[in-house]
This record gives sequence, C-alpha cells and structure tokens, in this order.
Amino acid sequence: MQKFIAVVKHEYKKMVFKWSFLIATLMLPILVGVLAIVPAIIFALRGEPTRIAVADPTGKIFARLEKNLSGERLMEKARQAAGEQFKISASQEEELRKDAAMFMLDFKLVTVDPAGKTGGQLRADLLGMIMRDEIDAYLIVSQSFEADARFEFRSRKGGDFISNDTFQNALNDAVRSQRLADANISETQLQELSARVNIDAKGIDEQGVEKESTGTFIASFVIGLLIYITLAIYGQAIMGAVVEEKETRIAEILFSSARPFELMFGKLVGVGLAGLTQLAIWIGSAATLFAILASQTDLGPVIGAVPPITPLMIFFFLIFFLLGFFIYASVFALIGAMVTSVQEGGMFAFPPVMIMLAAFYFCFAVIRDPNSTLSFWISVAPFFAPITMPVRILSEMPAIWQIGLSFLVNAVAIAALVWVAARVYRVGMLMYGKRATIPEIWKWVWHA
Amino acid sequence: MIAFTTDDRHNIFQMPDSKTSDTTLRVSNVTKRFGDFTAVENLSFDIRAGRVFGFLGPNGAGKTTTIRMIVGITFPDEGFIELNGERISHKLQNRIGYLPEERGLYKKMRVLDQLRYFAALKGITRTEADERVDKWLGRMQLSDWKKKKTTDLSKGMQQKIQFIATVLHAPEILVLDEPFSGLDPINVEFLMDVIAEYKSADKTIIFSTHLMETAERLCNDIILINKARKVLGGSLREIKESYGMNLIAFRGTNAEKILSDRALIESVITHADEQELHLAKGVNPQQLLKRMVDAGVTVSKFERTEPSLNDIFIEKVSSESGLNLQSEVYTDDR
Repeated sequence: MQKFIAVVKHEYKKMVFKWSFLIATLMLPILVGVLAIVPAIIFALRGEPTRIAVADPTGKIFARLEKNLSGERLMEKARQAAGEQFKISASQEEELRKDAAMFMLDFKLVTVDPAGKTGGQLRADLLGMIMRDEIDAYLIVSQSFEADARFEFRSRKGGDFISNDTFQNALNDAVRSQRLADANISETQLQELSARVNIDAKGIDEQGVEKESTGTFIASFVIGLLIYITLAIYGQAIMGAVVEEKETRIAEILFSSARPFELMFGKLVGVGLAGLTQLAIWIGSAATLFAILASQTDLGPVIGAVPPITPLMIFFFLIFFLLGFFIYASVFALIGAMVTSVQEGGMFAFPPVMIMLAAFYFCFAVIRDPNSTLSFWISVAPFFAPITMPVRILSEMPAIWQIGLSFLVNAVAIAALVWVAARVYRVGMLMYGKRATIPEIWKWVWHA
Repeated sequence: MIAFTTDDRHNIFQMPDSKTSDTTLRVSNVTKRFGDFTAVENLSFDIRAGRVFGFLGPNGAGKTTTIRMIVGITFPDEGFIELNGERISHKLQNRIGYLPEERGLYKKMRVLDQLRYFAALKGITRTEADERVDKWLGRMQLSDWKKKKTTDLSKGMQQKIQFIATVLHAPEILVLDEPFSGLDPINVEFLMDVIAEYKSADKTIIFSTHLMETAERLCNDIILINKARKVLGGSLREIKESYGMNLIAFRGTNAEKILSDRALIESVITHADEQELHLAKGVNPQQLLKRMVDAGVTVSKFERTEPSLNDIFIEKVSSESGLNLQSEVYTDDR
C-alpha cells in the first residue's frame, strides 16, 4: 500500500508539474474562445464592396435590386431571421444588431445601358470592365425574365458564398415584388398573408417541468466533448508514461522494487487524479468567470437557457468520467506495454481513439432522443457509456436502474481490462527490442 | 586486488541486523521455462556473505533470467531461492539492491526526484532518502547536479546516479547484472570501491559478467553456466588450482629435443618470447625441470602458470558438448 501511494504520488506530480499541463489547462479555454470568435472576425474582415454592373433593358429590376441590397434593408432582414429562430430580449437584440452590422455586406450597383448592343457586344463590354477592374460582377436581365426567370450572373468572386447568397435573395425578392405588382397585390398584403407560424417549443421532463431545449443541447454537447477530450489526452498520457518506462528500461528497476500490479494501477490512479485536477480547474474557472460576468452584466436570459445541473448530476458525471478513464487507461497501458516506441504505440492507439470518437458522435443521437432504445444501449455499453451516459443524464435523467446497470457493466469491464492489462504489463515491460504479437499476448494473459 | 579503505564511507552500509551466517543466498534446483524454451535448468548454488560471487557465462546462457528470479521480478517454475532462509518475495525486495544490465532513468525528471522515488519504492522515508541522497551525491561530487534533469547529465554521471539508486536503501545483498558494460573508467574504479566496501561489511555481492578477466580480478567464488546449465562452480582459487597443475611458461635454449618428447609434454604453444608447455598426464613440473637440466637445456624461465578462466571455460564446455568453442573468445573490452 505504501509503495502504491508512492507510485500514485510520483505519477500525479509527473503529470501536473509539467509545462504541458499548465499549457493545456490554459489553452483549452482559449481554444474554445478562439474557435467561437475567429470565424466571425474573419468574415467581418471582408473589406471592399462588391461592385456589380446591371444591364437591365426592362428597367424593372435595377431599382428594386438596389433597394433590396441597401444597408438598412440587409440589417432588417438579419434581425428578422435572428428573431424568428430565437426568442430574444431587448438587450440581446442590440447585440444582434451589432452582429448584423459586423456581417454587413456592402454592394455597389452601377447600371449599364444595353440599348443598341447585341448580346455579344454587351458581354464583351462587361467583361472588359471586369478586366479593367472597374466591376467585380455583372448581371444581365433578359427581356423575357418575367416568363422564364433567367438571369446571367458572372462574378470574379465566385467563392464569396455569403455575398452570392445575399445577392440571389435580393434578386429573388425583386422579381417577386415585380410579379406581385403585375398581379396587383401590394407588399403589405403579401406580408399579412405569409406571416410565419410561431411555435412555442420547450422540452419537458417526465414531471412536466419545462426545459430550455437549446441550452440543453449546448450543455450536453459541452459535457460530451469535455469528457471525450480529457479521456483522449489522459489515455495517451498513460501510454506515453508506460512506453517511457519500457524504452528507458526503468521498468526493470521498478519491478525489482514493487509488484507490477501496484506499479500499473498506481500509474492509472495517479494520472487519473491529474485528469480530475485539470477538469476541476476548467470547470471551476468557467464557473468563476460565469459568476463574475453575472455580477457585471445582466445574464438573465443566458442563465435561463442553461439546464439546471444538480449535485447528483455532478456526482454521476464524476463517476462516469472515472469509469471511462479506467477503461481507456487500462487499454492504453496495455498497448504501451506491448509496443517498443511511442510511434508504434500511436499506431495501436488508433482503434480505442476511434471508439471514443464514435461514442462522442453517438452523443448527438442521445441528445436528439434520450429515451430511444439506441440511447439506452449506447449509454449502457462498455467503452461508450462513459461518454454517452453523462450526456443522457443532462438531456433527460434516465431511471436510476439504468444508471446502475451502466455502472455495473462498465465496472465489470474495468475489472476484466485491468486484469488483462496487468498480465500483459508484467511480461511486456521486460521484453525489449521487439513488439509483442497478438498470439504472444494471448499466451501472457492465460499462462503468465 | 581491491584496496580496502577504512574511511567513514562505510557508515552508509551500517545495518544493525546484519546477518553473518555463512550462506546468505541459496539457489536450489531452480528451473525457468518460457514456453518451450528452458532458460535455466536445475541450477543450484550458494552465495556466502563477505565474498564476491561471480556469475559467469556467455551471452544468452541464462544469467539475466536467474538474476531476475533472485531479485523477485520473476519466480522459478521449479526449485526455490532463499535469502537468509526466507523465500524470495516482493516483501524481500526492500533488502536487495539491483543494478540491471539495461539501465535507465526518467529523462525529464530531476536527479533528486528520481532518487526519492526509487527510495520510496524501497520503503525509505522522504527525510531519510534526502539525507542519503546528499551523502551519495557529495561522495560522487555531483551535489551541484541534484536539481538538474537527466538530459543535462553526461553518460558517466547518469551511471553514477544509477549506482546511487541501487545502493540508496542500504541493501543486504547487491545484485549487479553486467555492471561493467559500457562504464567509463572512473565509474569502474568507483564500482570496485563499492564492491570492496560491501565485501568488508560482510554483505553479499553477486555480479554477472561475460568477461572472464573481470571475474578473475574481483571474485572469490564463481559459477559458470552455459546453455541454461551449470558448468562448474566453487571457489575461484580451488577451481584454478584443480585446472592449473599442468601448465608451464618456459623460456630457454637447446630444448628442441625434450619439447618434442610426447611422453613428457603433450603440446607446446609458442608465444613471442616464451613457450607454453602442456604437461603430459602423470608428469609433474619437478620431473620435467630435472630432465631439462640433465639434458643440458639452458633454462631462463620456468614457471608454473594458472590457466585463465576463459581457458577453463572453453576446455570444460568443449569437452562436455564436443563442440569447439575456441572461436568464442571472452576478453575484457574495457
């Protein structure tokens, strides 16, 4: 026991007092922030307006198009779109306005008179303007557009899908209002006729208590991702530590001092505690940040969207994180003991990492329907449950017996895996020079 | 031979319950198999306190397998190993100091932390470990490197740290597997000092080597194994004497006639400035010398020599297996 504790301490310190631990601890929140903000910044960076020449022999499109692409009109549309998807408060609307302004697309339309030119001449003229960099794109409105709705649009910025999309919408609107005008229907009439339905969508639990579904989705996703990332990082850390002891031949000194099982299990526990430390730092700092923000600004609507997390849930998260850790860590320890180098280990680490990733993807199925048969089995199955069960608990608390069953199944899986890993570890760690084959490992497990 | 020192460094080894019984380690009818391969077969030997025990044999003979069983890493399939009458177990590991042939340290860890960890695994408390680490580092003039990482140390320094890890817990028995391989000359001297100290403190030292010359210089007792089996064993002196009766180093003139007399001399090996005479059965050196003098040979050198362990090993193994092992030469590569 005394030696076991020495191993745990050693492994814990080795993980935590390392630059990479500090960096990882700091980097994850930064990374998450960056992933959330950078795309918005990059899209906002688009500088110059898109210059479009419009050749409109009918004279019916240009004016409408210009109006539809004006700044005020675009902002209004953005606000409408946002308002339809989320129910938003006044303060959030202000935010959205800013966002819309940030995404604000700038178009500059010029009209080109096609009178007296053949189609070929007109195209040549417009292409010439593009070549002289006077315009970025051109639109040719055909005389018969009202019948076939065909337009010729050529752009140098073919890849700017946001602009293209906006432009197409504006053109669509222009044609539609022309058609309405032809049919003697006013815009106001149309808006009245086509007012959207308004579904008041909220999830409820079995007691009928209302839950915010968007918030649940995000929170479940974050929990699933956090467990997946931590398991992947610490599983591989275990493998690295095992391979190091094998590669540097320290294993021989260690084995002459303590039982192989103490050494392996101590390593799992020590590294697992380091993983818990990191999770605690992340969650603790997120909670602190949240509290500080809450005291500074009105976060009422945001808090309302976060599903209530009870201490019982946190207890279950912890339990399932630990189950997952011991399952994957023993697999990685086993791999570490059978290979000869970290590179070789990376190759063999692929299958367990794929299983982890699959479990993470299954989270989406669980979030969509926490009570389906698939969700039940996937949250009980060993290897998958540690990632999917916490997500399911957060989406909708399953019956306690299901959590109990999942715990039991995974605990049995751990006992079996640790038993196998310990046997492979005992022999594999003293085998130098060549990687163990599967039949050899089979022999170690059953005859060692 | 080894110079015995009497300064205070001996204090490091003072153990209150040090046993002084004759046999400390007993290996009894030990067999170890790996699948179909028998690594050690029915091996028995005793190791006595206060003597240096050499465990000899070519690479692949089964030395490391036996040593791993002695230090409790693996266990015999048949037979048993006892330390002071107690079967080897994980509990006994705290009393054994083991320097493996393949030596390693944690690359990115500070010297002090590694030594503390190795000490903790041998059941030494933190304060006790710190005290001993200071003492040993001081003795090796490595005190300034205490807080440095392994990667900052030279190879020779790393070897020193590995020694410290072996002896830090003041073991009763020192088990060294090929301790001299790859060692720099300063560390060789240092290791010899440590072995001498252990010997004079009446502790047990066992080391394996495939270098016969090293064994000849250091050992009191030896065992020679080949292909999993014991070839010969016992006190080095006795072994040499039992094999050393019939070799004469000779230099002289006018001796051609006598040297070609096969009734007296079985064979002659001519070296640069002398000849090695292998006496025929039943002939003793006295008789030969008398015959030489009588025949008018001018003798400038006539000396009974001992065969080297290497010679003994080759003779023994080739006579047993019928193989010619002359091609396998065991030389000290230091």
